[in-house]
Amino acid sequence: MTTTHCPYCSLQCGMRLTREGRALTVEPWAEFPTNAGAMCRKGWTSTGLRGHRERLTTPLVRDRGEDGSRGELRPATWDEALDLVAGRLVDLRAEHGPDAVAVFGAGGLTNEKAYALGKLARVALGTSQIDYNGRWCMSSAASAGLRALGLDRGLPFPLADVEQADVLVLAGSNLAETAPPAARHLDRLRERGGRVVVVDPRRTPTADRADLHLAPVPGTDLALALGVLHLVMAAGAVDEAYVAERTTGFDAVRDEVAAWWPERVERVCGIAADEVRALADLLIATQRAGGRVLVLTARGVEQHSQGSDTVLAWINVALALGMPGRTGAGYGCLTGQGNGQGGREHGQKADQLPGYRSIEDPGARAHVAAVWGVDPDLLPGKGRSAYELLDALGRPATPTAPAGPRAMLVLGSNIVVSAPNALHVTERLRSLDLLVVADLVLSETAALADVVLPVTQWAEETGTMTNLEGRVVLRQRAITPPSGVRTDLEVITGLAERLKAPGTEAVTWSSDPEEVFAELGRASAGGVADYAGITYDRIRAEHGVFWPCPAPAADGTAHPGTPRLFAERFGHPDGRARFLVTSYRGAAEQPCEAYPLHLTTGRVLGQYQSGAQTRRIRELADTGPFVELHPLLARRLGTADGEVLTVRTRRGELRAPARVVDGIRPDTVFVPFHWVGANRLTNDALDPASRMPEFKVCAAAVSA
Amino acid sequence: MSPEHLVVVGNGMAAVRLVEALVAGGWLRRGGALTVLGEEQGAPYNRILLSAVLEGTHEERATTLRDERWYADAGVALRTGVRVVAVDREAREVELASRERVAYDRLVLATGSIPTLPPVRGLVRPDGSLHPRVHAFRSMTDCRGLTDALADAQEGGRTPVRRAVVVGGGLLGLQVARALGARRGQHAVVTEVVEGADHVLHRQLDRPGAQVLTRDLARLGTTVYTGARATRLVASPAPDHAVGVRLDNGHVLATDLVVLTAGGRPSTALARAAGLEVRRGVVVDDTLTTADPRVHAIGDCAQHAGRVSGFVGPAWDQATTLAARLLGEERAYAGVREVARLRATGLDVAVLGDPTDPQGGDVVEMTNPIARSHRRLVVREGRIVAAALVGDLSRVGLVTQLFDRGTVLGPHEAGDLLLPETRSGASGPADLPDDAEVCACAGVSAGALRACSSLEQARATTRATTGCGGCAPAVRALLATDPPAAAGPAAAPTDHPVPAPTGGTR
Repeated sequence: MTTTHCPYCSLQCGMRLTREGRALTVEPWAEFPTNAGAMCRKGWTSTGLRGHRERLTTPLVRDRGEDGSRGELRPATWDEALDLVAGRLVDLRAEHGPDAVAVFGAGGLTNEKAYALGKLARVALGTSQIDYNGRWCMSSAASAGLRALGLDRGLPFPLADVEQADVLVLAGSNLAETAPPAARHLDRLRERGGRVVVVDPRRTPTADRADLHLAPVPGTDLALALGVLHLVMAAGAVDEAYVAERTTGFDAVRDEVAAWWPERVERVCGIAADEVRALADLLIATQRAGGRVLVLTARGVEQHSQGSDTVLAWINVALALGMPGRTGAGYGCLTGQGNGQGGREHGQKADQLPGYRSIEDPGARAHVAAVWGVDPDLLPGKGRSAYELLDALGRPATPTAPAGPRAMLVLGSNIVVSAPNALHVTERLRSLDLLVVADLVLSETAALADVVLPVTQWAEETGTMTNLEGRVVLRQRAITPPSGVRTDLEVITGLAERLKAPGTEAVTWSSDPEEVFAELGRASAGGVADYAGITYDRIRAEHGVFWPCPAPAADGTAHPGTPRLFAERFGHPDGRARFLVTSYRGAAEQPCEAYPLHLTTGRVLGQYQSGAQTRRIRELADTGPFVELHPLLARRLGTADGEVLTVRTRRGELRAPARVVDGIRPDTVFVPFHWVGANRLTNDALDPASRMPEFKVCAAAVSA
Repeated sequence: MSPEHLVVVGNGMAAVRLVEALVAGGWLRRGGALTVLGEEQGAPYNRILLSAVLEGTHEERATTLRDERWYADAGVALRTGVRVVAVDREAREVELASRERVAYDRLVLATGSIPTLPPVRGLVRPDGSLHPRVHAFRSMTDCRGLTDALADAQEGGRTPVRRAVVVGGGLLGLQVARALGARRGQHAVVTEVVEGADHVLHRQLDRPGAQVLTRDLARLGTTVYTGARATRLVASPAPDHAVGVRLDNGHVLATDLVVLTAGGRPSTALARAAGLEVRRGVVVDDTLTTADPRVHAIGDCAQHAGRVSGFVGPAWDQATTLAARLLGEERAYAGVREVARLRATGLDVAVLGDPTDPQGGDVVEMTNPIARSHRRLVVREGRIVAAALVGDLSRVGLVTQLFDRGTVLGPHEAGDLLLPETRSGASGPADLPDDAEVCACAGVSAGALRACSSLEQARATTRATTGCGGCAPAVRALLATDPPAAAGPAAAPTDHPVPAPTGGTR
């Protein structure tokens, strides 16, 4: 019997894996606090990929003709594949410089992998061109949290604290479907007499559990948050003492929201002014009664070209009410990917070094370079963000921009399905001289690769993840991997040793996760996300450890970890939170004559992300994509439930059957993003601060 | 464009928006200068919210659009409490009441509108001031004066204000009437509204809509006298009230307070005296420029394409358009769709465009005086070009979006929009067919659950309730209402494969 954590979302539900003969069984692990034994069907069926006929067990190599024509993928040995990759990367670097090689990581990778991947890029490849798919997940909340609170940890408290809120506002979260065990906290909160508010253009299963559901037009969430703060101010419900003691910048925000009276919000957001008032009245009454208000945001409001502004605006609401720092109150973000938190802390992000350090901070560079055993000057600077990186692939230099990378190494990401404006991105991937993908199965992205490296999956390897609470948990190997596959760490090590970059002779590379974790701890020491005091043994003994957890004190006393942040001070040097002004602009692409509807995208319960894993699990229904629309719109289009519709945007089209439901705005259609097609439609407009693409809204036309 | 000194006359909502956009766009960084000359004292405020301040739902501080420090930090010279008395276009100077002259390279008139006093004898005293029981309601000063009058009277001394007459049954008049009747934490003031036209909101609503609204007002304790003009302020006919308002039908309303909300007109005197073209407002072209290329006008004082708006939407759009042009962008003002919303507790009115004038459009409407609702959509070429929603704003968000975006509707859609919204999913778990999914987290059907004899068995064999837990009541109901003994063959486990007890065994 082995304790481990579910391979999918950021809850990282604790589970037990039991072997009996060849059978591997998922059992509840009731003692693990985050999920207390609960799991959704994805967790219960997570062993379903084991022994799958599509599992890759040998490296694949695609030979190219003299004319660049692409042959078929053929099996190869590990040495052949790694030699080939390393040789090509060295040649490309010699010919075009280090930034000719890009690395693309993932929010599903363990902390150890994310750390090692960043080190591979900065040290062995010397490239600045590394980013990861978490940019499309957590970057808006991260950017806002960092700017407003001085520290970005999804939930600054354990998940169970949610139950203590008197009013919980879920802005753009459908956690009943995306993280079902978390929804138990909503029910307990309501049993206590608390209220739940859901903001979502669809009446989701989460909204069904709410006391109040507001369905604004996709892309207008910022206006709603400004309108709520307007009413809080109008009612005199601002906690002036808290604002004076614990924050700065309120006056400018006060002036900005004076222009957001409810009827203006109504016009922008397409919901009645009285609904805005109902939400504000709940918050105001709770504040006046000394109660707790908690706002949680998720991708629904974050994956926008103003996503980070929307998060800032909701943080402003929480701060004005005097909530952050109180137990069961404040602001938090519901992380998406399994290691969406740890994945953004240890250096696979373009602007970052381990420990949530900035790559542009000389002190951080010196510290990390010393741990790595290189000269700080050898470390590259900041690179392109995920979408900008993909958009630059294979492009020649222009007067305003340097040439894009000519080779890319991809770990744990299925870009062809998950990138916005996916047809364009696929074209950029095809333009590469060399695409290397490490994956379990031949994903849509691996199918385009020149070299495919078969790697272990979750139950076959050990490593840490940092869940949505900032709790570092340990996934433990339960079974032997099939012969022929290697771990991602072994791939990274194998490449690093072959690359032998000059100036890196003293650098050591390990593929033992616990050794890598110890090194990560040293590299993160003194940083914001300090893991130096965390060990595998402590994680096992304590059901996870919350960062920051610095190294033990000089007298040997261990740091207890930090389950709750902000009670005394915020992360900025002065200890205060910042009110930041946000100005509403609206979605980058507005409906027009040719594309009169809003399109939004999201997840369904039975699938996870690009579906590379879940679509191959028999017990999880592979329904394929569908188009959710309101009966009013169905009647306008002359269509009915089950009939095939075509959804078109300026970037691509998708054909899928209609699902007619009355819980969606009549001016909006919804398509789940797990299947190829949805992201051919989505817009690549980016948030200027977080570089988050606008996955959650664009203009679309739908026809029967 | 070389750096210029821009002078804005006025400090209302249009002026503030213009200044904000110029500051954000770098007007000062590029070396330009910006002076704002405001006649009212103090920081600019959101005029839209005056009736909310009166009602007590909004603190006055929450209406401040930009405080004085913002102007100072931005490098804008803000001068409040100064009146511009003349524009000398030749010398490119404005003259203040103090005789001081302020030079400009470019001038923006954002002077707004001024309330017109209705022709009621006795309103104005010989010294030109208003009768002490009479209040205008246009500025924060007016609002404070009215609030003070209500408070003073309550504190004793004068006759307490128990009754008020609002002259004017337009948007502002009804808002003020409701605010007086619904003041937070205060005793209500019995309010009567006098409107010269034959129904309230006559610019926005037709008679059936206004009738629904009038009933609502009556229900809330506000009486409306339509087709009646106030002609003279007289002594109160009742001894316990302060004053009387005589109507043209001879009736006298005893009251303690009179509030004037009837009408305003664009403030155009400066422009007229400076020789600029003025019709109802200061005439501007699509670039918001007068005949003098150095003089612009925006907001309530401006007349564009024959129209003077009076609404904040167009004023802001003009302000941002002009700012963009001044910052070097090619933009033109094309006019915007107007939405009028009555902001008054307990009164639900939204008017989009001009629904009283269908202009060849088709009218789809539904009036239900019993339910106190009236909704009218004017549809032209499939698009909602105007609408009135009274008493039922359940679809106001959607209808406004369709109107603003000019969405082309299907032939039934305008009618469908006026039908009550239906919501699915009302039936209980007992009615679910066997193949209906009950536990979404584990993917368990009603039939599979009916095959279980206890919650424990359901958990162990199907994993139902082990995810989000939301299905627990339904699962219990299915177990209780339909135990396996009574279940038909359709509920047999063979028809509904139940995962093996160990779930994900491989």
